Amino acid sequence: MLYAMCFFLFVIGLYCALVKKNMVKIVIGIMIMEYAVDLFLIMLGYRAGGVAPIVGKDEFDAVSGMVKSSFINASVDPLPQALVLTAIVISLGSLSLMISICIRTYEKYGTFDITEIRRLKG
Amino acid sequence: MIIPLPVFVAVPLVTAFFLPLLGDKRRFGATILANIATGVLLVAAIATIGQSGVYQVGKWPIPLGINLVMDGLSGLVILAVSVVGFAAMLFSAGYMERYTAKPKYLSLFLLMVAGMNGVVLSGDMFNLFVFLEVASIASYALVGFGCEHEELEASFKYMVLGSVASMFILFGIGLVYGNTGSLNMAYASRSIAETGLTRGLVFALGLFVAGFGLKAALIPFHAWLPDAHSSAPAPISAMLSGVLIKTLGVYAITRVVFNVFGISIQLGWVLLVLGVLSMVAGGFLAIGQADIKRLMAYSSISQLGYVVMGIGLGGLIIAQGGSTAWASLAILGGLFHLINHAVYKSLLFLTSGSVEISTGTRQMDRMGGLGKVLPITRATCTIASASIAGVPPFSGFWSKLILVIAAVGAGYIWLGAIIVFVAVLTLIMYLKVQRYVFLGELPENLSGVEERRGSMTCAMVVLAYLCVLMGLLLLVPDLKAAVLDPAVDVLVNGISYSSRIISMP
Amino acid sequence: MDKILLIPIFAPLVAGFLMFFVPNTMKPLHKLLALAGAVVSFLLAIRIFSSAGVLQYSCSIVQMGDFNLDLLLMTSPLRSFILLFAMGFGFLISIYTLKAGPSGDGSNIFYGSVLLTIGGSAGVLLSEHMLFLLIFWEIVTVSLYLLITTGGSSCSFAATKSFAMIGFSDAAFLLGIGLVWALSGTFVISETGVGTSSAAAIGAFLLLMTAAITKAGALPLHTWLPTSGEHAPASIMAILPASLDKLLGIYLLVVIVSEIFVLESRALSFILALIGSATIIIAVMIAMVQHNVKKLLSYHAISQVGYMILGIATLTPVGIAGGVFHMLNNAIYKCCLFLCGGAVEEATGTAELDELGGLGNKMPFTFVACLIAALSISGVPPFNGFVSKWMVYQGVIRMGSAGGTMSGANLWPVWLTVAMFGSALTLASFVKVIHSIFLSRNPSHKRDIKEVSGLMLVPMGVLAVLCVLFGVFYELPLNLFIYPALDIEAGTAIFGTWDSALATAFILAGLFLGGVVLFVGLVSRKSRTVSTWTCGEIMDNDEIIVSGTHFYKTISEMGGLKQLYKRQEQKWFDLYDQGGLLGLDLSRFLRWLHSGLLPMYLTWVVLGLLIILTVFCTIW
Repeated sequence: MLYAMCFFLFVIGLYCALVKKNMVKIVIGIMIMEYAVDLFLIMLGYRAGGVAPIVGKDEFDAVSGMVKSSFINASVDPLPQALVLTAIVISLGSLSLMISICIRTYEKYGTFDITEIRRLKG
Repeated sequence: MIIPLPVFVAVPLVTAFFLPLLGDKRRFGATILANIATGVLLVAAIATIGQSGVYQVGKWPIPLGINLVMDGLSGLVILAVSVVGFAAMLFSAGYMERYTAKPKYLSLFLLMVAGMNGVVLSGDMFNLFVFLEVASIASYALVGFGCEHEELEASFKYMVLGSVASMFILFGIGLVYGNTGSLNMAYASRSIAETGLTRGLVFALGLFVAGFGLKAALIPFHAWLPDAHSSAPAPISAMLSGVLIKTLGVYAITRVVFNVFGISIQLGWVLLVLGVLSMVAGGFLAIGQADIKRLMAYSSISQLGYVVMGIGLGGLIIAQGGSTAWASLAILGGLFHLINHAVYKSLLFLTSGSVEISTGTRQMDRMGGLGKVLPITRATCTIASASIAGVPPFSGFWSKLILVIAAVGAGYIWLGAIIVFVAVLTLIMYLKVQRYVFLGELPENLSGVEERRGSMTCAMVVLAYLCVLMGLLLLVPDLKAAVLDPAVDVLVNGISYSSRIISMP
Repeated sequence: MDKILLIPIFAPLVAGFLMFFVPNTMKPLHKLLALAGAVVSFLLAIRIFSSAGVLQYSCSIVQMGDFNLDLLLMTSPLRSFILLFAMGFGFLISIYTLKAGPSGDGSNIFYGSVLLTIGGSAGVLLSEHMLFLLIFWEIVTVSLYLLITTGGSSCSFAATKSFAMIGFSDAAFLLGIGLVWALSGTFVISETGVGTSSAAAIGAFLLLMTAAITKAGALPLHTWLPTSGEHAPASIMAILPASLDKLLGIYLLVVIVSEIFVLESRALSFILALIGSATIIIAVMIAMVQHNVKKLLSYHAISQVGYMILGIATLTPVGIAGGVFHMLNNAIYKCCLFLCGGAVEEATGTAELDELGGLGNKMPFTFVACLIAALSISGVPPFNGFVSKWMVYQGVIRMGSAGGTMSGANLWPVWLTVAMFGSALTLASFVKVIHSIFLSRNPSHKRDIKEVSGLMLVPMGVLAVLCVLFGVFYELPLNLFIYPALDIEAGTAIFGTWDSALATAFILAGLFLGGVVLFVGLVSRKSRTVSTWTCGEIMDNDEIIVSGTHFYKTISEMGGLKQLYKRQEQKWFDLYDQGGLLGLDLSRFLRWLHSGLLPMYLTWVVLGLLIILTVFCTIW
């Protein structure tokens, strides 16, 4: 069900990018898609009642020197969190570039309406 | 000599970091530095021909750590990236003099190269996505580098469509992780082979085909390409058309489809149909263009169609349990066309840049008779046109020949007919370029035009020689065994990729 | 392993390729190299022709599963005979171009392409492996393109059109070879022998036929020939479209009909005969009303191909022999005609019939050569064109008398009538040419015209002499070249009581008598010359020219024909133009879809994704 919500959010973002004429709104739509995917990734690693995967001193097994398996089973999956962090950084980069291009385009064309920015066609 | 694999990513990345620090005052030094970086990459790529191996980043063993994988397919694409990158960088040295902020341009260029090399080398899906985004973002910025009306418009459209594709891919990667529990291609593939394709994985596969298909500009995902490739500065167009759409699109799609998910009949058909659609529609769209770079951009769609069609046909034959000989011939044709296209299309874009910088226009109907005043440009453009049109003994002929033979041999006669028909379309569109640009009467206002000699012509001549000699890759058995055959084997062997990687030290 | 076969192919090819790198300032070097290449090839062709038995050379290049690419060269009587003449023409033309090379820069491209043409033709004629045949075939195509581009800025359209149309046929050739290979499992010509019963085989036959007839210049893919004839210099036309392309195209047709395929389908012979006859009559009808001598000659070059195709289409030994002999004869006289046209253009600077006249006195040598070639092409005995046409007629009749084995056979009277009528029209057309250029009156501004240089006259002279020789002593070439080449027993063609030598003697006697009468008449009766009086105004005699260009105006203004001629002028029947328009319409529609609207592009992406997902969902 929660996954379906993510998908729903993704579709909302896609719809926004598809239907809105304002360039900034298109960018917002893309960002909504981005967050939907981020949310999806986070939820992949979610485990009901899990603890944060931060390994303290207590969590090591005294004998083998490895992390206790009970801790591993109880904690949420840390990998998606790392992925999401990376994805957010990337999306930040592309968002800033997109917005700056939007601004420069507005300076040139004097409009944010994407249907009027169509010198390139054919 | 064994080249450590991170070199391919680290060298351009580090150089890209230092270049903007030099500032616009020291643009000469920056140019030299950037050219050295691409030169090093070229040498490294040539030195690694025939090598294969796995590099574990930070000595973390897979599947815990990230790995870089060099095998036949990666080596082939890396070679193409390095050759085209070297030539385009050499061309940029002269061509980009008229722009301000040249060091920033060089930095973005190298960033793009680093991204592409990363995509090709990474054996980990999320890592592939990261490098894909690095290369994509650098290319968005480069397309808009001129900051004029058309550049910005193209950049924005490219960026919106490209971001949507990236989201598709990321979503697909999430689904793969959710279903297999691994991001490493080899482990994910093993898991898929064990469990079979679940519903989530099928959905992911669809997302991958669409996402990477958009990066590869297959019809109907192609709409950004003609805008972006015609608006970018010429060397960037050469990089985009020559290698970017291949590494981010075709390479990624084949890697994921063949090595991770495994090929199936439907998948083969989807690739085949996408390829054929791109070939035909791209060809017709190109013929009607008056803008020389737009024509070349649409012809890139058409030519990439050949590549995808060949690979899809090979996959289809494998999936149907047909003869491996035909399958590998089709894939060989596709991959050979990939590197051929990298060379001649980048050369064509460089010549268009030379024409544009001399005449100040891209409209072919305002040109004519430039063959007399731009002799080197004309000669190199003619060679590249002959190659792309499939005139023997130039490189394009051989790849098209192999594709036709494979299609007819495997019983797809209609496909053979389409291939030769599109070859005629290609011939006609480049005859149009020849006629309107280089033949005919020189207009009055262009009578004082001169060719810019130096690094620009040098880059074009290098690529033109390659166009002529490229056929040897197929015709000389040793070269073929070193460069093409390993790449073909990677795809023909399909999902045995995973066991190969896992068993490697 | 006879390595001698490699030299006539690769020596000119390599030399031609290197020539592109020699700068334009070294024009004498270009000429020397071209001549040397042509001479070497010619000498080797003689050597190959005179050597007994089959020479062959093979060298494996690529081997991938069932797909192999071997450089396999082999001679056969047919090949070495055509090779001999192809190299001979190459040699003659390279002499001619010593004087009549390109005017501007581009001499390296010109002479390089001449060499590529020679080497490529040798390759086509010697290759036994179909893929290598194709490669050399395309090298010839490319050199034609390069040659036409050296003709100056007006030639760009002609060059483009030629390359596009021949390139189209080359693509058909490639596909056809693929089909033949799929059907027979081999690329080696002598091992193929595909029956034409299946649809794929018929398709393959039609594809290969397209390649052959486009190169030779038959309908319906002929339109590149007149276009390039109109714009390109005559010497270029003489090299490729008039001589070598004909040899190669008809050679390929013979190979297709007799070696690659075993013709079982009746329809195919009918199609060939139809193409042949239509080509004869339509092209000559258009040729009659042309005003540009080179364009006119190009249409005749098309028309003559019809005889060859018709001869081969009869599938009777005499018909094929006639077709091949006509190919040879046509190459001789058509090459000669183009060289004459080139000489006239070189001397006067124009090729428009309206602006020429009275050159008979100024250029006597060209006049005689042109007259002989014109009589030959018109099929007037005792010149060579007559002999081969006669053999083609015999082939047609024999096809008819052999009964209805071929569906085209029943129509033999039609084919015969068309062929003969076409011959008559050719004569009519050349009456106009000879009149307009050499007789008639000399326009006042073309007074100081001199005969062209000896280097240009030699090839013309040799070719004209060959026209006479092959006509009067027709048994010589037939027995020496044609019959052995096609493995036909001597004396297949029946000439009845026709004794060429005797007839020639009678004709000469008649001409002599006529000359005497004329002389006596001229001497005995003095004629009076006065100025023309036109309604009070006296015109200078020099201004009054009986223009030959309007001889056949009545035909072009005849009821139904007028419309057809008009449509033809408007390129209604030009497949290149019509195909181009269709393609551009499709292109315009697709471009209209790319309206620059981002939402639309995004919609395509989403739709594409949905379709792909739907396809995948049906699987699992």
